[in-house]
Amino acid sequence: MKKLFAMLLAFAMVFALCACGSTASAPAAAPAEEAAPARTSFIMGIDPEYPPFSYLGDDGNYTGFDVEVCRAVCDSLGWELKIFGVNWDEKLVQLDSMECDCVWSGMTILDSMKEAGYVISEPYYDNTQVLVVKADSGFESSADLAGKIVAVQLGTSGEALLNGDLAELAGTFGQVLTCDSFLKCFTELEGNAADAVFVDMPVAASYVASHEGLSILDENLGAEQYGIAFRSSDAELCAQVDAAVQALVADGTYAKIAAKEEYADIVNNLLFLSK
Amino acid sequence: MSLLTMILKMSEGLGKTCAIFFLTLLFSLPLGMIVALLRMSKVKLVSAVTRFFITILRGTPLMLQLLAVTYGPYYLFGANVARNKLIPVVIAFSINYAAYFAEIYRGGIESIPIGQYEAAEVLGYTKLQTFLRIILPQVIKRIMPSVTNEVVTLVKDTSMAFTVSYQEMFTIGKQIANSQTSFMPFLVAGVFYYLFNAIVDYMMGRIEKRLNYYK
Repeated sequence: MKKLFAMLLAFAMVFALCACGSTASAPAAAPAEEAAPARTSFIMGIDPEYPPFSYLGDDGNYTGFDVEVCRAVCDSLGWELKIFGVNWDEKLVQLDSMECDCVWSGMTILDSMKEAGYVISEPYYDNTQVLVVKADSGFESSADLAGKIVAVQLGTSGEALLNGDLAELAGTFGQVLTCDSFLKCFTELEGNAADAVFVDMPVAASYVASHEGLSILDENLGAEQYGIAFRSSDAELCAQVDAAVQALVADGTYAKIAAKEEYADIVNNLLFLSK
Repeated sequence: MSLLTMILKMSEGLGKTCAIFFLTLLFSLPLGMIVALLRMSKVKLVSAVTRFFITILRGTPLMLQLLAVTYGPYYLFGANVARNKLIPVVIAFSINYAAYFAEIYRGGIESIPIGQYEAAEVLGYTKLQTFLRIILPQVIKRIMPSVTNEVVTLVKDTSMAFTVSYQEMFTIGKQIANSQTSFMPFLVAGVFYYLFNAIVDYMMGRIEKRLNYYK
């Protein structure tokens, strides 16, 4: 017992010494940091599986609308862009733990994020949620899906809606099947294990365009907006990025990126361009 | 959401977690024995093929095998994806665990001295009798700790069923964590798994003691 106590004490002393070391050196470093708070790099947190906003391009590098805009922002501010693929249902935790400086990847702005203190940029995209069904299923509206299985991706705004504002509708479904990627949602649908997929409009549009036999129900179930999330302490950074994006809008770079063919599905919903 | 509703909601999925656990054991324990015997077959081709399958099952992530069993038939043949996900989940888990159990069984069987086979032969036992009455009882005693190891791992591995959208306890926990932006469900899940394993540990300990009739 005595030995153990002595050991603990020794540890405590070592820690105390360490602590002394860091405080002693801090004052020397502080003035330099204050004088030059210049950021040299910017870590963008993305969902690597969210085309066309952020995805792994054919060349093996991350690309997408958000990635291209962020790259342009970083170029204009002289930052080195680093891209970090977050685990979408843990994105805010990863943001808090400094693994990335922002979450910028077709992210729906939720009231709960603002309540939790996250700094959110100007909304830049108007998103709507739709139901995708098999073209030959005969379903025409969400009411036809009573008692049926509807797949949704965990951590998406669609899932949040089904648990929140659209809980009543979700209650009429036979089952809400939560998958960990939207690809699995669609596989469940095509493999007849689900009757519909509840998903963001742009994702639905691009998937339906490249896969036969699916159709989107003409019913907008939840209108939401996309924004960029920053840590609560990074209001300044957010303002800096917002301003840089506006500069890109003003000089036409933003429109040029949006005009690319691969972003045809989302271009009409971009808020900065419709203003 | 209060902690109590969280726990109640997650315990709804506990039944499904248990279903994976018990069904996997039910199928993989005997299947493992068959695989072990094939692996030790004197026919070179049989043992080589079995060995190959074991390397695949042990050498690729269980998560990948789950995906292959669940969605593979759809992508390869356009077959329907199972609506009841318990079926593909249990198939994938059983095959995977059978591979591990097979190697444990093999280790146990090969640890029995050859002299015992010879003695049994002298005493007029047939090969089957030798295996069932003399070898197997000793093997079971020897491999219990390793089997317990696998069983404990299985409890935790059930959480992987989430990748194929099977709504077991951890899946529900993730959903709650997500909608409540809270880490609490993960803590609850941790406690659930720990308690589950405490029971497993106790039961396996008792079985082990029962089997120690010579000591």
